[in-house]
Amino acid sequence: MTDRSFDPEELGLVAGLEIHQQLDTATKLFCDSPTTLHDPEESQRTITRYLHPTKSELGEIDEAALEESQVDRTFEYLAYDTTCLVEEDDEPPHELDGEALEVAMQIADLLDMHVVDQAHVMRKIVIDGSNTSGFQRSTLLAQEGEIETEDGPVGIEDLMLEEESAKRVEETDEGVRYSLDRLGIPLVEIGTKPDISTPAQAREAAQRIGMLLRSTGTVKRGLGTIRQDVNVSIAEGARVEIKGVQALDQIAEIVETEVRRQKELVDIAAELDERGAAAGDPVDVTDAFADTDSGVIAGALNSGGVVHAVRLAGFDGLVGTEIAPDRRLGTELSDHAKRHGAGGIFHTDELPAYGVTDAEVDALREAVDAGEDDAVALVADDPETAELAIEAAAERAETAIDGVPEETRGANDDGTTRYMRPLPGAARLYPETDVPPVEPDPSEVETPELLTEKVDRYQAEYGLGAGLAEQVAYGRRMPLFESVVADGVDPTFAATTLESTLTELRRHDVPVGELTDDHLRDVLGLVEDGDLAKEGVGDVLTVLAEDPGLSAPEAVEEAGLSGVNEDEVREAVAEVVERNAEQVDAEGMGAFSGLMGEAMGALRGKADGEVVSDVLREEIQKRA
Amino acid sequence: MTPSPGDRVRVERAGVTDEGVLMPSSDEEHLVLKLEGGYNVGVDRADAAVEVLEGGARDVGEDADEEGDASVVAFDDDLPTVALISTGGTIASTVDYRTGAVTARFDAEDVLRAVPDLAGRANYRGRVVANILSENMDPETWTDLAEAVREEIEAGADGVVVMHGTDTMQYSASALSFMLDTPVPVVFTGSQRSADRPSSDNVMNAVCAVEAATSDCTEVLVCMHGTPSDDHCALHRGTRVRKNHTSRRDAFETVGAEPLGRVDYDPHEDRVDVSFRERKAYARRGDTDLAVASDLAEDVELVKFTPGMDPAALDYLNGKSGVVIEGTGLGHVHTDLIPRFEALVDDGTTVVMTSQCLEGRVCDRVYDTGRDLLDAGVVEAGDTLPGTAKVKLMWALANVADSAEAMGCDLAGELTEESKPWV
Repeated sequence: MTDRSFDPEELGLVAGLEIHQQLDTATKLFCDSPTTLHDPEESQRTITRYLHPTKSELGEIDEAALEESQVDRTFEYLAYDTTCLVEEDDEPPHELDGEALEVAMQIADLLDMHVVDQAHVMRKIVIDGSNTSGFQRSTLLAQEGEIETEDGPVGIEDLMLEEESAKRVEETDEGVRYSLDRLGIPLVEIGTKPDISTPAQAREAAQRIGMLLRSTGTVKRGLGTIRQDVNVSIAEGARVEIKGVQALDQIAEIVETEVRRQKELVDIAAELDERGAAAGDPVDVTDAFADTDSGVIAGALNSGGVVHAVRLAGFDGLVGTEIAPDRRLGTELSDHAKRHGAGGIFHTDELPAYGVTDAEVDALREAVDAGEDDAVALVADDPETAELAIEAAAERAETAIDGVPEETRGANDDGTTRYMRPLPGAARLYPETDVPPVEPDPSEVETPELLTEKVDRYQAEYGLGAGLAEQVAYGRRMPLFESVVADGVDPTFAATTLESTLTELRRHDVPVGELTDDHLRDVLGLVEDGDLAKEGVGDVLTVLAEDPGLSAPEAVEEAGLSGVNEDEVREAVAEVVERNAEQVDAEGMGAFSGLMGEAMGALRGKADGEVVSDVLREEIQKRA
Repeated sequence: MTPSPGDRVRVERAGVTDEGVLMPSSDEEHLVLKLEGGYNVGVDRADAAVEVLEGGARDVGEDADEEGDASVVAFDDDLPTVALISTGGTIASTVDYRTGAVTARFDAEDVLRAVPDLAGRANYRGRVVANILSENMDPETWTDLAEAVREEIEAGADGVVVMHGTDTMQYSASALSFMLDTPVPVVFTGSQRSADRPSSDNVMNAVCAVEAATSDCTEVLVCMHGTPSDDHCALHRGTRVRKNHTSRRDAFETVGAEPLGRVDYDPHEDRVDVSFRERKAYARRGDTDLAVASDLAEDVELVKFTPGMDPAALDYLNGKSGVVIEGTGLGHVHTDLIPRFEALVDDGTTVVMTSQCLEGRVCDRVYDTGRDLLDAGVVEAGDTLPGTAKVKLMWALANVADSAEAMGCDLAGELTEESKPWV
């Protein structure tokens, strides 16, 4: 970062987390469609819709929703053979899914929360198209919990059970294309209290909550199935909600960067205030760029566009001030302009550049009556976009004089953030009248064993090594592991197969992602029943991964590992012993290890090593 | 002090303290609180300690939606004038807290406020004929509606849009089809997905209906989504349309034929195109003078025959002016029921046969049962839809000399002479 100090505690950092976790239930939250995902190419129908803002039951319109609606967009939805009319918003929602409710109550229990007496399903207005209805159904299910971290307890404010949004597939010329497979998957949203005072504590809290969630064994795993939002403010700053932090490792960096951004903005505001800064009214300055060599501007003008500019009195030098790595105040202005369809802005702190000449900058300054202490921002685009975009940029500049604006921002991959929309308010929520209130009964909910407890138990009870125990407990096949062990499969064998064997196969480019829990359960069962040698498991799984349509016994046959029963083993072993009769007579059991290798070779992995060893022992003894 | 809805309260229960605005509850056992963040939560009344922080902090319930700027719409001489007639229904409805259900509570002015996209397409005259759910629609209101349309046309409306709940829209559209000779389009529209959701079909349906009302086609039409997408509305003849799905946007279909026309919708281009199928005949502006015959005989019943029907179920038909049967197949009922209908005819009731097949025309000359029904004096309604036939019979009994004869003739596009479902 920079050589300046941005000590979070000193600056009065207050941070909270919002964790969103998809649940791995059989059906969606308000209909009976499965929660499986599809490739967009599998879609069979598309539906096109538009959304319009509506008032809450108190007659208010949410500011975030209103801003979103000013961006007129077409939403296209990809539907699949699994899609039903509820997901297409062409049928009222069914009742709240019982399985999802139960898992959510388990999570509430693990977070030491109080489940509400009566849960009301609400509609949260979201008109970016990610919900076909124009709202996300969300239910406050539990309140007031707590988790421990090394830096002290972190309160849990609330737990919401809600529906996942549709997945954004791509931007289209007129809007956005979404996929309906993800829409309606149950999701819990857990909000902490603003008890977090260091970036490291934010990370630890997120990690702890993640562990608790996975302890239920009923949460989705993999990229995008858990998302973190971080709420950050410093003493002189403002509450900023940062959406879509993908990795835990990013949380500390995001918080640090946001602390710096807020501090820089606070300092800029102080300087602007001292200078008596103000944003002026936008002006059409197209004439100043009549013969421009700037590609961006010329491109806009050639297609009937205009250049609009605004004088930012007292802003000279500050628009170009870096407030986060490679992001300036100018970038913030630009983000707002982009919301209205513009490609971005230019400002005088960075000009002349991009083909804009000194003479043009002078003409620009003159056109908006800007002095040397002033900055000028400009947008080149079609007239309507240019007008909206420069106004948005000017408004953002005006806000900079007051300090840090409250807003919703999106996390970038590099740990910085970008402006998304105003903070949503209470007005975006109103009752979902199609679903009656639910009275949840937490008394029947079983408290799941924590993953940390599982690690200990796997070691103590099953004799797994610490590393393997942790791998299994935190791995996505933990529920399968527990279920096969309960069915009698040897724990060490099950653990090695589900972790080491699969990892090894993946390294050899076997598509292990194709293996279902049923595949693995069946193969382990075959070994348990003596129908497959442990040594053959890798080969059979390889066959199944490459041809998932096969049953486990079919795969055994396909791998050429079938048909070796104990009689055949005895026959093969007897032959080996016969062939080496001299050695056996001479060495007795001393010949065992040498002959074992030969016997296994003769059976080519079709027989279980333990069986072969038992038989060999017996055959040697016979001669003794 | 007893807390009442709208108060800001603090509620404590089992170690959890909530602050928020008290909302009306749908049951006795729970207090419903709207929390700071907007979520509602129900708390067991018996176990809760409630403290009122501020009485009447918010306006909730009945009057909450009445606020807002009264829209003063400037009159534009270059635009046609469209009368917006509201009867209630989902196109302009809002949440009722007490029942938790969606009810109609807006007048036509509110529709303008609710659907700003209507601005600039026409000058509007707003009017409320009824404020009822469409399942509560009755023949008396059809008469009021026809008279309201007459007054609006006489007052200079270039087109009429009737906002109507979807459940019984087809019956009301049929009624007006028979009652009116109209020199301007009369277009029914509504919404399948309530107006309190951003995805509601009310905006596109209303915009398309207004455009259809300013078109050249002076028929009674129903204008609703043509597909599940917001791409076009279909224009159905009021006497041939039927709601064929409980919830889909494109629930309305023209039965036995293609729709009369369509309205293509593209808000990006701000383009709404009204077009009609070339091979369809329809009345145009200048063809017809305004005439209204809004009387109805209200004692007409529609009965559906099903296997196992108790003949006693027909007893309540005694003394009715008209009965429409929704028979099976080509127009049949159980042989044993034929004498019952014969007795009704003998008693002076006009008995009309339609088919529950919906598609196709009745033909009682093919099988013995049919011939016996004809002999009993039952009248065939051709391919008239059962619901339409009921409304037509109500109208015919009050307005034409020979209602039985009228049921076999086309009066308002309800009965086609030739079966050409592809047209």
